[in-house]
Amino acid sequence: MIEERAFFIDYARCIGCQSCVQACAECDTHRGRSLIHLETIDRHDSVQTAPQVCMHCENPVCAQVCPADAIKQTPDGVVQSSLKPRCIGCSNCVLACPFGVPRYFGEIDQMMKCDMCYDRTSTGKRPMCATVCPSQALAFITLDEFRRTRGGTAINEWRFGDHPVRTKVYLVVPPETPPLLQIQGLGSARPSGAFDRNDVAAWLEQG
Amino acid sequence: MARPPVDIPSLVAAWGPHVNRVPAGGWTTEGEPDRVVQTHCCFCGQQCGIQLKVKHNQVVGFEPWEDFPFNRGKLCPKGVRRYLQNGHPDRLLEPLERVDGRGFQPVTWEAALGRTAAEIRRIQAQYGPDAFAVLTGASLTNEKAYLMGKFARVAVRTANIDYNGRLCMVSAAAASKKIFGIDRAANPWSDLLSAEVILVAGANVAECAPITTDYLWEARERGARIIVIDPRMTPIARTVDLFMPVRPGGDIGIFNGMLHVMIERGWIDRAFIDAHTTGWPAVAETVAKYTPEYASRIAGVPASLIVKAAELWGPARTSFLLHARGIEHHSKGVDNCLAAINLVVASGRIGREGCGYAMITGQGNGQGAREQGQKCDQLPGARDVENPEHRHYIAGVWGVPESSIPHKGLSAVPLLEAIHDGRIKGLLSICFNPAVSLPDGHFIREALGRLEFYAGIDFFLSETMRYADVVLPGSLMEEDEGTTTSAEGRVIHHKKVVDPPGAAREDWRIICDLAARLGAGDKFAFRSPREIFEELRVASHGGVADYHGITWDRIDREHGVFWPCPEPDHPGTPRLYEGGRFGHPDGRAHFQAVEWRPAAEETDDAYPIVLTTGRVVSQYLSGTQTRRIGALVDQYPEPRCEMHPRLAASLGVADGDFVRVESRRGALVVRALVVKTIRPDTVFVPYHWPLGRSANNCTVRAIDPVSHIPEFKICAVRVTKAPPPDDAEAHLGPEAGGLA
Amino acid sequence: MPPPVRVTARGADAAHAIAAGLAAAALVILGIYFGSRHLRDFDVALVPYAGASVFAAFGLGYRYAMWLRRPPTGLYWRRSWQLFFAPRHLPANIVRLARLAFDNFLAQKFIGRRAVKRWLAHWCIFWGCVLAAAVTFPLSFGWIHFETAPASLARYQAFVFGVHVFSFRLDSVLAPLVFNVLDVAALLVLTGIFFALWRRGLDRGALAVQQFANDLLPLALLFAVSVTGLFLTASTHLLRGYDFVFLSQLHAVTVIFTLLYLPFGKFFHIFQRPAQLGIAFYKEAGAASGQATCRRCGAPFASALHVGDLKRVESALGIRYATAAGDYQDVCPRCRRLSVALAQDALWRTHGRGPGKGTR
Repeated sequence: MIEERAFFIDYARCIGCQSCVQACAECDTHRGRSLIHLETIDRHDSVQTAPQVCMHCENPVCAQVCPADAIKQTPDGVVQSSLKPRCIGCSNCVLACPFGVPRYFGEIDQMMKCDMCYDRTSTGKRPMCATVCPSQALAFITLDEFRRTRGGTAINEWRFGDHPVRTKVYLVVPPETPPLLQIQGLGSARPSGAFDRNDVAAWLEQG
Repeated sequence: MARPPVDIPSLVAAWGPHVNRVPAGGWTTEGEPDRVVQTHCCFCGQQCGIQLKVKHNQVVGFEPWEDFPFNRGKLCPKGVRRYLQNGHPDRLLEPLERVDGRGFQPVTWEAALGRTAAEIRRIQAQYGPDAFAVLTGASLTNEKAYLMGKFARVAVRTANIDYNGRLCMVSAAAASKKIFGIDRAANPWSDLLSAEVILVAGANVAECAPITTDYLWEARERGARIIVIDPRMTPIARTVDLFMPVRPGGDIGIFNGMLHVMIERGWIDRAFIDAHTTGWPAVAETVAKYTPEYASRIAGVPASLIVKAAELWGPARTSFLLHARGIEHHSKGVDNCLAAINLVVASGRIGREGCGYAMITGQGNGQGAREQGQKCDQLPGARDVENPEHRHYIAGVWGVPESSIPHKGLSAVPLLEAIHDGRIKGLLSICFNPAVSLPDGHFIREALGRLEFYAGIDFFLSETMRYADVVLPGSLMEEDEGTTTSAEGRVIHHKKVVDPPGAAREDWRIICDLAARLGAGDKFAFRSPREIFEELRVASHGGVADYHGITWDRIDREHGVFWPCPEPDHPGTPRLYEGGRFGHPDGRAHFQAVEWRPAAEETDDAYPIVLTTGRVVSQYLSGTQTRRIGALVDQYPEPRCEMHPRLAASLGVADGDFVRVESRRGALVVRALVVKTIRPDTVFVPYHWPLGRSANNCTVRAIDPVSHIPEFKICAVRVTKAPPPDDAEAHLGPEAGGLA
Repeated sequence: MPPPVRVTARGADAAHAIAAGLAAAALVILGIYFGSRHLRDFDVALVPYAGASVFAAFGLGYRYAMWLRRPPTGLYWRRSWQLFFAPRHLPANIVRLARLAFDNFLAQKFIGRRAVKRWLAHWCIFWGCVLAAAVTFPLSFGWIHFETAPASLARYQAFVFGVHVFSFRLDSVLAPLVFNVLDVAALLVLTGIFFALWRRGLDRGALAVQQFANDLLPLALLFAVSVTGLFLTASTHLLRGYDFVFLSQLHAVTVIFTLLYLPFGKFFHIFQRPAQLGIAFYKEAGAASGQATCRRCGAPFASALHVGDLKRVESALGIRYATAAGDYQDVCPRCRRLSVALAQDALWRTHGRGPGKGTR
């Protein structure tokens, strides 16, 4: 009996190579269309990048705000792309998802989103993005493998504003981090005068 | 007369680069493939395992290959999209001949091969045997690399054969040979995982060897500290323990400075040095003056960083040093590598688990292609073309008199210089795009235009092929079969996935046909690449790179075999130098004392900025293949000039403005990318593009005296704000050298 | 004035929905009664069909009302009508509605852009069903009926709501078309089913996500209705009425089952989908209403109308994005992705990787 694999995401590992973006378009449920997000945080300031797959919330906000009742979960908790016959293309889900995941495609008038490569995961394969990810910022491994190969701990509870969310996908954080991550979306201003470790000139001057 | 028969935009319209966005058979998700073939990605030296899906003799998709131990299914974007080069509209399907003023027109194989053979003999009769040259590539399989070396020496009988690995691995190779006695990564990548400290010098791992990233991360999770030396803060450098933004060319300052501190603090392994090395006193003497302050002035980083680096590296119990083109692409490239390797040997941390050293091979078969005898100074098995014993052995394998084997010829850059000054009149090339990839591009293209006859084997009409008189349509990696040797020294098997389309042929058949027309048919009577490999095994036997015990079947069974593997029952050698036994006849490592010296072209008032060049993750080498794959072009459509905001401010340039980057040799016009992640005294432009977007218009034609690698990493430029270019070439697509 | 967002208990929802269902059923009954001229034109043989239609009407009314009681749906529903009937825009809106209806319902262009086979399948099934429904419902409700002309047995007269609309000769071109219109519909539906199954059987994506109850049962029902219907024709014309009674009962069973299934499964999209048209008006009104800007990056990311409505929907649903510090709904999707990544990266920045690494 193989221990069930889970999806772990470690943004800090990302190298921005876009393997996930390219591979996402190879999934059979949406071939030719990439659904994952890869953000360049601010290229002027740093090379930091971050991928975003669907976190597969236990009680997905996207489904709750859908007027067409078009977003469904599989019994194993995977939140699927909108049902084609139902989706009316309103983009409520796009705006409401706490992680900014769903994408609206105007030409087909439908929202599609990461479905954890349901064609693959439902038959025991790993999702495309997590299989190819060269830095394993995206990883689909057993909990045992996670404990063996990672120094961090995995959490899946969040609070956006005052709204609690629990996800099927885990976030990798340093050990002893509180198990709930608060997100306000207010940005993180660096105190002026502090060492900017992304600025090469600062490294050259630190002496 | 070899020059483009019509203007560039017309050639682009006819032969590309065009981008292919849709797989053969479309974006369909219907049905199952006819077969799924386990093979490898061709787009860098890591040679990741990949499975290609085939339907109706076309590659229609891919599937990760999770059983292959090196990458376990992981792929970079080039690997993911590599399959889109198959079924490409630009694919050459029949032999072509240049018709002045009209372009390229199809001819029969008979005519194309006949003319090529006739021209080879005419030029050699008229100007001497070495007036016809052969240029090859490091993306060829071992079989083809072996075949090309033999072809040049036995069929053409010219000394002048060299390859584009000259732009890639030769500095690392020369340094490894000097100190260790063997030119190969000393350890398999798995040794990275148990290293306590990893020094990454001049290697943008995230973009040029992406799969290595996970090895670094896994090592970090186990506690490894990472030091990165690079003028740019690369993606992997962003989070590491110590980032050293070295001044281009200042690497020896860091290495010698670190060694200085290590000696001072007693962090060297005296017992190891006494038992297993030679030459230490000279090194100790040399680095004595490299105090952190002195080293800092050379390296262009604060002395405190050099001390910190020594503090991380020095006392560790296990360690691994990785380097790549960043320290190798210099007129002192070999010395840079020697200084780096001195750090490894002085620590005594080599030849054990978690203790090691590797150069990160850049080209697809960067490792294997330099062992099979297509370098101007080498014979198969990494043998020396000037060593009488080596010559004798190979002459025996080839069945030719030893005296008939030409001696050392010209390396790539001097070879092009010889074309330019008229000593070489004819050229056959395969797997090489010097019009984009060699430095001082205008000079190189001028040289190509002076050839009396130029024939090329290629699958797409590359920028260099535009100068050809005869174009022979060859094969993509997936259309032929053979082995390559990965960055780890692991010999692996590229399967034949599909047949070449149209009248295109496998490269090895073209070479054998040509050899027959040159009267050497009996020496090239191969019926398959496997037969070539069988001869290669014998030819390499007893050499440093001994493949004798490796068979295709073993490779398939064992997921690759590491050379040296002298006999079929030998397990192969994943880790070299175990027990402190090195590759030199005395079994010791030979320290090499290295002094820093300036670059061939330092900055001055007229050209005050350093231009350094490199890769982006979505492109491979000169882009002949990757600039034809739509998704990869979209990811990073055109080169940009990275510069620090301070430099940009002093130049009056804002992000997205066009800038003209100009050296004494040429210029390019690209958009500026203003970022804090680069030294303020340096600009960076990636090199994969042609025409007015070619970084090599600026680079300097200076080479390392030992390895003959060009100095791609340093040349002096001035940068000015420029109006948007409006010439015909700028209006081409970005994949062809235009602007997006 | 923004329409109110209602929050109600489930019990109240159900009561409301039952009322809606009863109303819909009553409407159909009244329609039958008056449309058939006090049942004068009503064909008693078709009672089971009419009865099933009444039940279906109840189900649809119930389901539709329940659907509308969901806060996001209700709000959109009211918003759409409010915008549609805005007096200044009504004439333009009607024209636009006609065009949208043509593109989306008659031509179904958006499905064509998803996949050609899918479009073929859907288009055939859609038109087959429309054709069949256009004939069978009025027939079984007694809204239309046919009689032989008093003067000639070779002439047929068609009545709609008891009014003589046209007549035709039995040997005219029109006659076989009129009598066999349901066969044409059945063949269209079967063609569509063929394409649908072809696609579903080969498409690796569809195979992965399709479910029997949701994706295959509807096709099976349509197949049963069409095939049993064709059997009736075959029995009449080719087999001299062989087993006609059994076959007609079988056909009735398939039709009635399909009617009863209508409100619950995939077929509900037939009634729900027109809401898509409202979205077009909503998006237009949104574009005119000004843009909401992200509180993190300051860039516009959606219409102010949309974000405002969404906040009200979220509050009705108990999604507590709003805090004293601000509303998370004012953060654009991209900044949400950045915020999450930055928060995690910052944790690692202060901690450092690897065992035994404390704050640096």
